[in-house]
Amino acid sequence: MFEKSLHIANGQLRRLLADASRRGQAIRRWYRESGLNEAEMRGLRLLSEWLSPEQLAQYHARNYFDVTGCHSGKRYRIRHGTATNIYELDSAGRPRVGWCFIPKNHLVAGDVMLAQKIALETDESAALRVAKKFPPTWLAQ
Amino acid sequence: MATQIVMDHNGDTRHNFDANDAEALLKAEQRFKELTGAGFTAASRTASGEPIVRRTFDPTAEETLFFPRLVGG
Repeated sequence: MFEKSLHIANGQLRRLLADASRRGQAIRRWYRESGLNEAEMRGLRLLSEWLSPEQLAQYHARNYFDVTGCHSGKRYRIRHGTATNIYELDSAGRPRVGWCFIPKNHLVAGDVMLAQKIALETDESAALRVAKKFPPTWLAQ
Repeated sequence: MATQIVMDHNGDTRHNFDANDAEALLKAEQRFKELTGAGFTAASRTASGEPIVRRTFDPTAEETLFFPRLVGG
């Protein structure tokens, strides 16, 4: 009885691992076909590990995700990119002003967006003190 | 196994260490001090997944992420 249960569990585990492996391969293939190199893929993997489930779903669907500033409670939209990619939203969800702050060292897009997210969610005031404003020309909702 | 993740031009570099090993822990603390001293921000996640900035080394943190100083773009 025990051996039979063990055999069934073993089979289920093998199928689960095979499925996980297939999904992993599919994601890697998708990234490669998107023209991303290993560093860019690693950056996006790290970003996806740190985004909340809502932010991750939004990013996959729309190529941006929203964060809430820890001090003001304002909503910011971080668009995929490495510069001039943050928009403060008004109460209707429209871009009100653009903010640009980036890590000092050259980093891939996933890392830049993750650093921006953490900065706004943990020390919004400090991030905005170094940021430069720009006119919000991007209108995606 | 605990991990320190340092963002760099390769995406990131991961340093895994055994938090129960005193020597490894000392090395991790030294890395923390060097990176934060060089302007990196250290962050980890709460149990609910929200990011939190670490000003001092936390020997119990399973994962600590380091990113370079932020500047106006």
